[in-house]
Amino acid sequence: MVKLKINNEIFEVADGLTILDVAGIAGIHIPTLCHNKDLPHYSSCMVCMVKDKLTGNFLPSCSALVQNNMDIECSSDDVNNLRRKAVELLLSEHRAECEAPCKVVCPAGYNIPLMNRLLAAKDFSGAVSLSITQIGSNEFLCTNCPGYCENACRRKKVDTPVSIRNMQIFVSQQIKPENYNHDANNILSSENKVKPDKPSKDFSSHIGRLEDGEQKEWLKECKDVLKRVREISDSDSAASESESCMHCDCRAVDNCRLRDIARELSIKDPRGKIINSPIQKKININTGLIFENAKCIKCGLCVRLCEESKEEPALCFINRGFVSIISEPLTEDFNNILKSKSQEVIDICPTGALSLFK
Amino acid sequence: MKTEKTTILNNDCNCEETSRVNIPSVVDEVVSYTGRESDKVILILQEVQKKLNWLPSEALKYICEVTDITPGQISGVSTFYSQFRHLPVGQHTIKICAGTACHVKGSPLISDAFKRVLKIDDTRSASPDNLFSIEEVACLGCCTLAPVVQIDGKTYGHVRPTQVDEIINDFLNSHAGSDKTPMSEQNDDIDAEIRIGIGSCCVAGGSREILSEIIEIREKYNLNIRLKPVGCVGVCNQTPLMEIVTQDNIHSRYTKVSKPQVEEILLKHVKPRTLRNKIKYNINDLVDSFLSDDKVTGQINVSDGVREKYLNNFLNHQVHIATLNSGNLSPESFEEYTLSGGFEALKRCISDSDQETIIRTITASGLRGRGGAGFPTGKKWKISMQSSGSPKYVVCNGDEGDPGAFMDRMLLESFPFRIIEGMLIAGYATGSSEGIFYIRAEYPLAVSRIRLALKLCYENKILGNNIFSSSFSFKISVFEGAGAFVCGEETALIASLEGKRGMPHLRPPYPAVKGFRQKPTLVNNVETLSLVPWIITNGAEKFGSIGTEKSKGTKVFALAGKISKGGLIEVPMGITIHRIVEEIGDGVGDNSTFKAVQIGGPSGGCIPADKADTTVDYEELTRLGAMMGSGGMVVLDDSDCMVDMAKYFLTFTHKQSCGKCTFCRVGTKHMLNIITRLTEGKANSEDINELENLSRLVKAGSLCGLGKSAPNPVLTGLQYFRDEYEEHTKGICRARKCRDLIKYIVTDKCTGCTICSQGCPVKAIPFNPYEKHEIDQLICTKCDNCRIVCPEKAIEIVNLNG
Repeated sequence: MVKLKINNEIFEVADGLTILDVAGIAGIHIPTLCHNKDLPHYSSCMVCMVKDKLTGNFLPSCSALVQNNMDIECSSDDVNNLRRKAVELLLSEHRAECEAPCKVVCPAGYNIPLMNRLLAAKDFSGAVSLSITQIGSNEFLCTNCPGYCENACRRKKVDTPVSIRNMQIFVSQQIKPENYNHDANNILSSENKVKPDKPSKDFSSHIGRLEDGEQKEWLKECKDVLKRVREISDSDSAASESESCMHCDCRAVDNCRLRDIARELSIKDPRGKIINSPIQKKININTGLIFENAKCIKCGLCVRLCEESKEEPALCFINRGFVSIISEPLTEDFNNILKSKSQEVIDICPTGALSLFK
Repeated sequence: MKTEKTTILNNDCNCEETSRVNIPSVVDEVVSYTGRESDKVILILQEVQKKLNWLPSEALKYICEVTDITPGQISGVSTFYSQFRHLPVGQHTIKICAGTACHVKGSPLISDAFKRVLKIDDTRSASPDNLFSIEEVACLGCCTLAPVVQIDGKTYGHVRPTQVDEIINDFLNSHAGSDKTPMSEQNDDIDAEIRIGIGSCCVAGGSREILSEIIEIREKYNLNIRLKPVGCVGVCNQTPLMEIVTQDNIHSRYTKVSKPQVEEILLKHVKPRTLRNKIKYNINDLVDSFLSDDKVTGQINVSDGVREKYLNNFLNHQVHIATLNSGNLSPESFEEYTLSGGFEALKRCISDSDQETIIRTITASGLRGRGGAGFPTGKKWKISMQSSGSPKYVVCNGDEGDPGAFMDRMLLESFPFRIIEGMLIAGYATGSSEGIFYIRAEYPLAVSRIRLALKLCYENKILGNNIFSSSFSFKISVFEGAGAFVCGEETALIASLEGKRGMPHLRPPYPAVKGFRQKPTLVNNVETLSLVPWIITNGAEKFGSIGTEKSKGTKVFALAGKISKGGLIEVPMGITIHRIVEEIGDGVGDNSTFKAVQIGGPSGGCIPADKADTTVDYEELTRLGAMMGSGGMVVLDDSDCMVDMAKYFLTFTHKQSCGKCTFCRVGTKHMLNIITRLTEGKANSEDINELENLSRLVKAGSLCGLGKSAPNPVLTGLQYFRDEYEEHTKGICRARKCRDLIKYIVTDKCTGCTICSQGCPVKAIPFNPYEKHEIDQLICTKCDNCRIVCPEKAIEIVNLNG
């Protein structure tokens, strides 16, 4: 048995437990990113840091074994300061956007990329439902809006911006008045002038201008659209035009542990991101798995999850140090990995680095 | 950095060579003697690369097919370690040492020069004729000959950027040369014994040529002499060294011996045997003395008291424990080692002592780990002894990665039997039955010496079953490190032994309790083990009588950098830095000022000259912000920029980071960005504050010693040389080192000889005979060539900004 103090409370526990284990049992919250209770610990993110007042040392609680006379504090200024730095450092190499520029500048905050994905999947009823939620009982705003979204659209630099306004107008026209959602939460009422929205108080990661070569990577998600259309008259043309969306948003926007922790620790997105190269998006055409290297925080959960076998090659670490990345093995093609485990790795990934192409 | 997949590169490389080889048959052969288990991955990759010169992806794929290694494992491991090449390389690899001592002596300029001459740039990995590839390596361990370049195992020291063509021609024209070390000769009826140092520095200094010359002269005059190759004496800056011991036991030592001097030196001490040769010799002598009055140059050391001041100083302050019998023992002779008392300590342990007593002795002696951290050795042995599991392991950590440190290399090359004895004693005391020598691959001579010594020990039954007819059995194997500084950390080392990426983990659990294959594993540094036999023989008290209260015994240091007389020295703990630098090392020379000493390599820190009375002691050095480290001591003078030094070390630790924990992986990158901007004159005071803050957080938050100590050079730099950092924010580099802040100018001393113009690789100095030359600042790349070749010393480096 081991006797130790956590947050000034004395605990007597069995040998071989970690500080995180004990904190969990005691109901003390310690944030983690690279930890999963069913997998061996790795101690990479360093977000779970705690301080041992006895030695003055900081320890990652996920792998620090409990020892006699430890005097652990889980939430002092010191500890929070260090955790905050860990997250800031992770964010500085997390080159990603939580929200797409089009959505950010939209006065109504319509979720444009999601709409595009639904249309591309030919899920027209889904697109209509989304529209209903967003418009509510009020007047549809796109008709009077100068189209900030198209101005911000990154596709503009490639050829022409996605015909967002026309697509939105078309979809909203399919809504029957009796289906309006009277309880929907609207950002602006129609009496107010249309003006750009303030950025969300929520934590949001930004990129700004794309680096050289990034645009090419992002275009990988767009199907080759033979003919771009401006006028959207039916669901086919809507679907076709939606294929040119570059999906600038992050699919894990509501499901990102990194975002949650940044929010919890009140961190601002650091300016100036450093990239460990390469800027790369990999798409598995067989399973629809997308891996975005720029979003990866090297927590290794995806690697630890899959007990790699020769029959089913999985993801692995390549290189060393700052330039280490997650990748398919050197001898395999990305299209041949994770035949059966794609959904599992997507679920375990704490950021949007692994997602499904919809 | 390998970011491209090799499948893409196969289109571009000159792969005729490789495709002619049958890759599967090469792999099959390797696997037949290594075995198929997945933990053999590093050995398999090393062997396959030896045969193919690189690792094509076809080879990697086939290895996975015929072994238990998975694609993920082979990818992760082969890209983690620097030794493995995924790109085809030229026929010959030019290794340019980027270690501390070499950096301080200008290795970046040498690297540039080689790349320029051979036309190798970032877009290609080999010269256009495919003869050469360039590899910048962390440290070749020949620091006193800095800057060092090694081509296919042939070492060149004191390299100048202007010598690239000369070196390449020399390499291409040199004979393949016998790499075999000459055997120690045995006959006793001789007039004299000739001892030649054959450590790495000696060989790099040309001792093999001297040796072959001696053999020729012996042949020519039929001299009755015995040849004895010996290990390192430590006087590395004076190689080649030759010592003559005559029948009347007079020792004469010659330094910096050159080939033409060999004949004269030998004949001075030894007379030719036959009359005919005698006549030949006497006539020659007569003729010579008519034609010249050149005497033999090179310092002579006669052992009966008349000693030259320098060697006196260098050798007198030393206390030889780890290096006992330096210069007297042939490193390859089992007999000599035993004749000088070797393996007596082991015998005593086995027959007259027991585990507790031995461990008590080691504990009482105060011996602390010499790898850097200084953990009490006795305590570690006790933990291992008390831990249960079978088999238990002892690992000798020879992964000396500190750039600027080469003590362990010397000990492994020169005293292999002593280290084996230390390991055996440790094994006996802890109840272990298997030993592993973990030696970095960059030390091929050390590896071969240890392998030979092990073979001889097995033959003489010092290893194997029932040693000294007891129940103690021990076997030792050798593992070659694949190139990762982080594997000097014991948990990362063990991970690499298990065929994984060398990533450390938090301790506890300690390896002495649960290590290699989850069994108790005692990891000790080379130097630590080499001190053990002496302690057993002479007792704990005697060892404890040397040194300070908390730091007992001696320490081997590798003195290098801007020091007049560098080399390897073993000194008692408690000696001051002043004594080491000024007395032993003979100072920095008349044209410069001693500025600081970098102790502990990239994990250590700088101790400024005004603190030179600091004693060498674990706690004392830590108190000052530095660290004992493994023993690298690089001396800096006023032409060294402290910001540049910090950047150099940070670049190293950042590159060597395993990449697991956020603070080290990302934090050091941010620190490096700031310090780089400082050297470019693009940073401000705010940046310095941020650098300091970040350094403290990286120190606190990193998982292992590498990350925790990476900020030390920055923090000590800021502590003792903050004004230099501040000056850089104003664009001034007082040492005139940072290239963006300086320019080269021609002073009025110029005589118009045009040598600089002819030597300028980028034609920045117009040819202007008899007129004062001018350097075109827009073209100048600051390669330093002109300043080196100017016979009038008319070219100076000045600050751009006042």
